[in-house]
Amino acid sequence: MTWAPFLALSFEAFGSLDFWIGAMTLAGIYAIFTLGLQLNVGFTGVINFGQAGFMAIGAYTMGILVADVGLSLWLALPIATLVTMAAGLLIGLPSLRLRADYFAIVTIAFSEIIRYVAQNARGLTGGNQGLLGFDSQWIDVSNAVQDGLAPVGLEDQFLAPLLIVTWLTLLVLATALRYLQGTPWGRVLRAVREDEDAVRALGKNAFAYKLQSIAIAAALGAVAGYFLALNLAFLNPNSFEPLYTFIGYAILILGGLASFFGVIVGSVVVYTLLEATRFLELPLSASQVAALRFVVVGLVLILLVAFRPQGIFGKRQEMVLGD
Amino acid sequence: MTEPLLEVSDVAKQFGGIRAVDGASFDVERGSITALIGPNGAGKTTLFNIVTGFERGDRGTIVLDGERIDRRPPHTIARRRMVRTFQITKALSAMPVIDNMALAAPDQPGEHLTGLLLRAPVARRREKEVRERAHELLEVFGLSDKAEEYAGTLSGGQRKLLELARALMVEPRLVLLDEPMAGVNPSLGRRLLDHMHELCERDGVTFLFIEHDMDVVMAHSDKVVVMAQGATIASGPPAQVRSDQAVIDAYLGAQVKA
Amino acid sequence: MEAEASPAQPGALGRREGRASLRTTMSANPGLVAAGIVLAIAVALIATQGLQPVAQTGLNGLISGSYFALGAVGLTLVYGTLKLVNFAHGDLLTFGAYTAFVANITLGLPILLAVLAAIVVTAALGVFTERVMWRPMRAKGAGLLQLLLMTLGLAFVIRYAIQFVAGTAPRTLDVDVTSSVGFLGLRIGQTQLVVMLAGFAVLIGVGVMLRSTSLGRQMRALSDNFDLAEVSGIDTDRVVMATWIFAAGLAGLAGVLYTSSIGTMTPNLGFFLLLTLFAAVILGGIGNAYGALAGGVLLGLAQEWSTLLVDARWKLAVGFLVLILVLIVRPQGLFGRKERL
Ligand SMILES: Nc1ncnc2c1ncn2[C@@H]1O[C@H](COP(=O)(O)OP(=O)(O)OP(=O)(O)O)[C@@H](O)[C@H]1O
Ligand SMILES: [Mg+2]
Repeated sequence: MTWAPFLALSFEAFGSLDFWIGAMTLAGIYAIFTLGLQLNVGFTGVINFGQAGFMAIGAYTMGILVADVGLSLWLALPIATLVTMAAGLLIGLPSLRLRADYFAIVTIAFSEIIRYVAQNARGLTGGNQGLLGFDSQWIDVSNAVQDGLAPVGLEDQFLAPLLIVTWLTLLVLATALRYLQGTPWGRVLRAVREDEDAVRALGKNAFAYKLQSIAIAAALGAVAGYFLALNLAFLNPNSFEPLYTFIGYAILILGGLASFFGVIVGSVVVYTLLEATRFLELPLSASQVAALRFVVVGLVLILLVAFRPQGIFGKRQEMVLGD
Repeated sequence: MTEPLLEVSDVAKQFGGIRAVDGASFDVERGSITALIGPNGAGKTTLFNIVTGFERGDRGTIVLDGERIDRRPPHTIARRRMVRTFQITKALSAMPVIDNMALAAPDQPGEHLTGLLLRAPVARRREKEVRERAHELLEVFGLSDKAEEYAGTLSGGQRKLLELARALMVEPRLVLLDEPMAGVNPSLGRRLLDHMHELCERDGVTFLFIEHDMDVVMAHSDKVVVMAQGATIASGPPAQVRSDQAVIDAYLGAQVKA
Repeated sequence: MEAEASPAQPGALGRREGRASLRTTMSANPGLVAAGIVLAIAVALIATQGLQPVAQTGLNGLISGSYFALGAVGLTLVYGTLKLVNFAHGDLLTFGAYTAFVANITLGLPILLAVLAAIVVTAALGVFTERVMWRPMRAKGAGLLQLLLMTLGLAFVIRYAIQFVAGTAPRTLDVDVTSSVGFLGLRIGQTQLVVMLAGFAVLIGVGVMLRSTSLGRQMRALSDNFDLAEVSGIDTDRVVMATWIFAAGLAGLAGVLYTSSIGTMTPNLGFFLLLTLFAAVILGGIGNAYGALAGGVLLGLAQEWSTLLVDARWKLAVGFLVLILVLIVRPQGLFGRKERL
């Protein structure tokens, strides 16, 4: 095997706008997704393994409301967000009182149930065939934005508008969360992360804060789900495998616990690498390349957790992993 | 005399086969300092846990200021301005000392999402007050220069002080302290006791504290309640309790067994 | 259950006493209660669906129950002993199945030797992870989340390493998946019968071993209370190692039994099974070895019987539903003690 074609090809990929727009859109989507995990894990000490499930509920509710019920997309979005938050409360109410490891197991089971429903309630979700036809109103907006991009020479990039809207949303959400985290509300949340009993002894309802945390994370999952749906233009149960929650954890640990902007950096790094492997010219089959990517994700997760648990940007003193 | 601030009647709690608390009854008078003593394993901490709602008693009643509070969750009890500290300190290590203090303040609308949205100016004003009060208390407890440090960097004794200072941030009527002096150096300990007296006399705050040091108990409490094997076996002024035969037996018995 | 019992009591007072004693009996004999519930469900199903389909699905349930139980017992012991919620446990089943494939198909060894190889090699992998990952992390004083994420990472590595080598195409072992035997109007695949018999034989062996060998008793003691066991002079290091050999070896075996029974293997088979195994573990009371065995069998029955009422494609969701219901209604599980939570 010679390295020359491999290097040439990968440089070409990194130089191409298509590559970066695709990779950065995904990075933005999964950064929003992981902001929810950060709020739960990094700031509340709640181990949520069901984020992909919340993403699925948001995306499918939106898709069904638009494609089947015929609602306007702009009305469907807030409704789907509320539905997803309600689902978060529903799963949190009985199980947030349990120990943290039990909660992790409950949430992953919950997210698998959601995926099963998406797969098997074919009348509603289209099953494995997928759900289509919910994005026409978005496409109108997208076209308008695309025309507006002519002066900067991006009028050929039909995914550029989604990239822009995703990242604007991401920045607004990250800023809002960061603000919240500095308020007295955020202070109680962080205290809950450390010691629920201490918080309750001081007259705060720790349970209510955990519920709020999970509901907000669910909403963030839903928002990520909308962008994913628009990016793919159709919904398929495979997009909501627990795998994606776990990639979220890799992003979380890479960027560092208790840092919202770390999430963004983590996501950019992870999705640049994951997408770049598509362009590797290795003497391997597509399935082998896919497998190799996740072996690497697994190894990175293990090594980071073992040797740099505070991630790249996490503060050592606020590092909640090692407690 | 007015009715007691806290009335505990016939409280019991069993863990598997162990009767940790087995018929505990006592009163805490308003504006007094009451000591709860007893050999190791007598059930003092468990009783604290039941009174503050962290553990559910098997039987018995607990009345705070004329209102039954047994079976209520801990945070609603704390909101009635009865606050406790823990034997094993619960300093929130990954938060700065000042945040530990500010966290404890009651009536902060900024602790609720709706309050943040609708009453932001009130929240900001309250936060300012809270911080001032926190700095005052840290000053009293000699922790001023640690205000911005993470609580995890404090020594064991300093954590005890922080926990007491944090409890006082709740603006309590009744403070329950589980061995506040353990591990605190004598001069700081004296300061802590002085402060307890001052709060009691000046602001009418009531104290109930668990303590093993008999000199401290005798010198600083208005009333002593003695527990042994889960039951309250005596209570009264320090001098009277000291000469009580049942108390002497309980302590000697414990020593003989040990 | 209470409603059924109370009308038999005479007066109001008697009824209350009857309830109280029923409740204490229930919590004292969770095994009996569980058996009673299963029996009640079976009777109700027979009444509505007829004997034959209930017996047939029940038989299928015992087949899957046997490998669920074998997978679950290791998961629960590792949790109990090391407080490690091992998300890579399912992938140990996959690893076992593919090891058997290599021995049986690639190397052409007879299936019995392949099964043995699966057990031994998977046990070795368990010991390897203990040495390289879990022991050093325990020494560092790693927290719950840290360990949880490492098991996730390990799960990725095992699953996708297998996929890298073997691909995603389904593989089969050299076992007879077509012929079946019939008796009493029931049908069971020949291999499935062997799987079930072997599975239950091992289950009984495991139960006996945990009860009556000193190593087994120590494993249960350690799983029950690590600190206590440590101060009471058990050589925890040796028992931890034994637990890994035991847990991973049984997982390897369960993987082969599963594959033989359903006919094929894919690299994500273990992950599919993992949540069912968790359900069995939690149903039985986390850390409780007998509980996991019983929980595994119960889940097998629940999944298969559910096919009488709803479409078979919801079978897996039944496991998740049981899991969530148990955690909400009785989080300590059927056999767990309340104090645990
Ligand atoms: N959660 C629990 N589970 C089982 N037993 C418990 C539990 N909590 C306390 N106990 C037991 O109850 C008894 C009383 O314990 P407690 O901590 O209340 O004693 P204490 O008077 O505070 O002792 P010390 O002076 O040593 O702090 C002890 O025998 C203890 O082992
Ligand atoms: Mg105590």
